[in-house]
Amino acid sequence: MRIFNPSFGMAAAGPAKVTLQPVNWATDAIALISNSKPNARELLEGVRAMLGAHRPVDNIHFHAKNSASQPAPKELIEKVAKNYKAALLALGD
Amino acid sequence: MKDIAEQEVIDIGDMDVEAFNEYANEQGWSDGMPLFVPTEAKVAKFVDTVRGDNRPYPPVPPRQIVPTLQALAANAVMAGCKPEYFPVVTAALRGVLDPEYNLHGTLATTHSCAPMVMVSGPIRHELNINCGTNCFGQGRQANATIGRALGLMLLNVAGAKPGEMDRSTQGNPAKFTFCFGENEEENPWAPYHVQRGFAPTDSVVTVMSGEGPHNLNDHGSTTGDGLLTTFAGGMSNPGSNTIYGKGPMFVIIGPEHAATLKRDGFTIESIREELWKRSRVHLSRVSKENLVTYETTGHKPDGDWLSIGRDPKDIHITVAGGPGKHSAFIPSFGGTTVACTRIAR
Repeated sequence: MRIFNPSFGMAAAGPAKVTLQPVNWATDAIALISNSKPNARELLEGVRAMLGAHRPVDNIHFHAKNSASQPAPKELIEKVAKNYKAALLALGD
Repeated sequence: MKDIAEQEVIDIGDMDVEAFNEYANEQGWSDGMPLFVPTEAKVAKFVDTVRGDNRPYPPVPPRQIVPTLQALAANAVMAGCKPEYFPVVTAALRGVLDPEYNLHGTLATTHSCAPMVMVSGPIRHELNINCGTNCFGQGRQANATIGRALGLMLLNVAGAKPGEMDRSTQGNPAKFTFCFGENEEENPWAPYHVQRGFAPTDSVVTVMSGEGPHNLNDHGSTTGDGLLTTFAGGMSNPGSNTIYGKGPMFVIIGPEHAATLKRDGFTIESIREELWKRSRVHLSRVSKENLVTYETTGHKPDGDWLSIGRDPKDIHITVAGGPGKHSAFIPSFGGTTVACTRIAR
């Protein structure tokens, strides 16, 4: 007996490949991004404080999604891509 | 992508139904209840019913694969649908694929939301969809299997496997199936799909990522004003997602309550306005810690009150059910929309 596979599908065309650039964690600008749920900001504050023991933190900035339940808006993603060499995401829940 | 099943058609040999169900469980295809076998012949009958809808499907999140009609039909067969239900199921799928529905978020969340499927228009009676007594409950093949088919598609095509991509803390019985029809015949106002701009003769599927129905019992009130006090009290819930993840909600009014409201001069618009004003949550019912969270995420109170949506338009209203003094409140996930799709036939 032959059946149709209920989970079969065609691969969607993926986004253009991005070439990652090396990050200098001692000096480069870093975005700390919260998913806007409780404790995400606190977690990122801890990360920033720990980084502060080893490097300047004036170019390490906090960001957050507008809503915990929605994807990050395009503007935020573009802003982070334009201004930072690395991003750390905290998922509070 | 690594998790895409490679074979569209699988030869399973001489399995009987029980052996197929064991096999399907091993593949992760089941919602836990017995499945029908999606043979090539059965799937072909289902595909033949949707010739009026030739639009390709977009990639389905979170798994981001483009489903074939045959794979979708296989899920409807497994759910126990009749072939003629399939256009309703595919219309529901198109609804949840509306980007504003936020399918990825609604499937991956810890919230208990399930896809509510409401059917409007002539197809309700053609398919024997229950719009009256016990419309949210058991007893009709169409209600039971249309909702189940959509759930199986979200499991098998979208990849919402419980405990993996589906992270719901407690889940919800509505995740098995949640499909009902509007009771247009006892609705003293416009049916929901007509409120949304469709013709009365159109058959339309409406989806919202919602919780199960919360009962609104009012046997005592004899006026529309009294009923709205009860409705608003039931909607005023500090534990609802929409108190901070602002979004839509449904009030499904039972026919007897609807008749009382109509008699007292209420319209859909005036009911919506009254419920908006009366369903706010007083700050005395919100914890101090939650209030800090809401304020830091931009959901500030208005004086001493928190609203349960963005504005009155977030309250969607229609009529369903049978005799009795009950109505229902269905809050949503929050970051979602109410999507309507005309059934192509």
